Amino acid sequence: MHLSPKIKTEPEAPRSLWTDSFRRLLDNRLALFGLGFFAFISIMCYLGPFAYRLSPDSQVLALESTLPFTKAQLVEVRYDSEKATPDEVTTLVDFGEVYALDPEADTAALSRDGTLTLKGIKFDAVERFHLLGTDSKGRDILARIMRGGRISLGVAFLATLTALLIGVNYGLVSGYFGGRLDVLMMRFVDILYAIPFLIFVILLMILFDGFRYKILLVFIAIGAVEWLTMARIVRGQVLHLKEQEFISAARATGVKTFSILSKHLAPNLLGPVVVYSTLLIPAVMLLESTLSFLGLGMGANMASWGTMIKDGQESMRSAPWELIAPSIFFSATLFAMNFLGDGLRDALDVKSAKD
Amino acid sequence: MLTFILKRLGQAVPVLLAIYTITFFMIRLAPGGPFSDERKVAEHILERQMEYYGYNDPLIVQYGRTLLQHVKLDLPPLTSHIGLTAADIISESFPVSLELGLWAMAIALFLGVPAGVIAASRQNTWLDYTPMSLAMTGICLPTFVVGPILALIFGIWLRWTSVAGWASPVDRILPSLTLGLYYAAYIARLTRGGMLEILSSDFVRTARAKGATEFRAVVIHALRGGILPVISFLGPALAGLVTGSFVVETIFQVPGLGRHFVLAAVNRDHSLILSTVLFYASLIMLANLMVDVLQVLLNPKLRYK
Repeated sequence: MHLSPKIKTEPEAPRSLWTDSFRRLLDNRLALFGLGFFAFISIMCYLGPFAYRLSPDSQVLALESTLPFTKAQLVEVRYDSEKATPDEVTTLVDFGEVYALDPEADTAALSRDGTLTLKGIKFDAVERFHLLGTDSKGRDILARIMRGGRISLGVAFLATLTALLIGVNYGLVSGYFGGRLDVLMMRFVDILYAIPFLIFVILLMILFDGFRYKILLVFIAIGAVEWLTMARIVRGQVLHLKEQEFISAARATGVKTFSILSKHLAPNLLGPVVVYSTLLIPAVMLLESTLSFLGLGMGANMASWGTMIKDGQESMRSAPWELIAPSIFFSATLFAMNFLGDGLRDALDVKSAKD
Repeated sequence: MLTFILKRLGQAVPVLLAIYTITFFMIRLAPGGPFSDERKVAEHILERQMEYYGYNDPLIVQYGRTLLQHVKLDLPPLTSHIGLTAADIISESFPVSLELGLWAMAIALFLGVPAGVIAASRQNTWLDYTPMSLAMTGICLPTFVVGPILALIFGIWLRWTSVAGWASPVDRILPSLTLGLYYAAYIARLTRGGMLEILSSDFVRTARAKGATEFRAVVIHALRGGILPVISFLGPALAGLVTGSFVVETIFQVPGLGRHFVLAAVNRDHSLILSTVLFYASLIMLANLMVDVLQVLLNPKLRYK
């Protein structure tokens, strides 16, 4: 019998490390969920304000601590010194621009056509819908969550970038040059590790206090602490890579040290660095919010999620939703980022970034 | 063993010196001092204060003098607590933090280790998935979310516990639980990982083969090895308990050292910041040393190295 072995003539299309990794990531449901939720939060925080147009700062004292999902009818009384009869209208606008209509109050009542007449001046009533209610100062919670999220995410990305820059360069130099320099540099890292890092950040916050661009310095302060682990991971990777042939070849052909570091070593660090950065973002968000919670953060006019949770704790007796709403958003974002980071680690097959 | 301990203690000295130096210059180079805020004080009184607290000498003289004071444990008076030194504050408030930390650690171990052991011995069943999903939740949830939510549920809605304070035994429940749950989650995961590795090893199979009960095989034979990752986690856990106590003591208004440290940072009490940082650093290094000794005692492989 004649055997005709079937030989595949066409070779299988080559699959790169990245396609493989991407495929593995797509198989991981939790990681995909994390990615999706993260995208949702980013879109909500950055584009949400265009659709949900309530200001995070406008305080309506008459509307303090309103329940979530409730409508409020109110009349906006703009202060106009020429038209308004001073006595009554000024007392109304004392609390800001907006006056909420209290249905029980008999001094001002909304007529059927939705207007309010005060001293002969007619005002139109508007309906306001606070999706997640208002806080104890009458500010819209959802609007504050969106702005707080922008601050938290912004801090997280910039601090991670700082940590990335310092950590990768430090680890590269320490690992590549080795010897006494390596010992010295790593000893310094060990010393910084011995100080609990929250203490170190608090010290940095004190150091930078009073600067005008404190928010920028917060990024740097946090990045300046979080680079330690990154430096260790990169150094470990470099120690392993620099013994390989392609580095010897580069050295033998006279490639400059700087080019070896930037063109030959750095690209090979991408996997672990990407994974660790993804896990660093939630860690930084947590750290920034912890600082805000302790009252050492960015100050009252830059309320991040940590500040909101702190404010919510103070008024949780009267308005528990003020605590619950930011807590849910914050925790869910942390979950999503951790799932994504773990998924990327499995997909890129990087050894545990923790040591 | 004794030489090992002495060597480690010797290594601690330069590290502490470096931490002292970094901390000293970081807080002294910072803008704003202990006298720069609130009410305006008359010029001559300010001058007297600066003199009394030794702020008029050159920085390097102050550096040396403060270092000497810490070596001799004869600490300078504090600017934020009149008539007291950092030693008074620490000896008064550290026991509170220590008690909180010990309760938290007890909760973490008593919840975490059994959960991890059960999950490992019933791998890939609901007894594995349920505790491990809970553990993942516990790790992701930050302390300052868990604390206020627990206070809201148990303190305000159910009225089972108090919301804040540290006066009665009931007050201990929520702070310890808040601090302990995170570590319980972490320890559960570590125990499960360690146990899975040990349970598949030969000596456990031998134990089972000679007829040891499942309980005996798991708890008596395997646990001793499976718990090792937890032991090595205890060192970093202590550092985490220290910083975790900052948040928990703030949430529940516990008069511990963490609260004092945060307030000292807010009030710019240089001397209290410095002494507390040094105290924390020594504490953490001591704890790491103890963990290392414990590891050698539990792991026969390390004993002869």
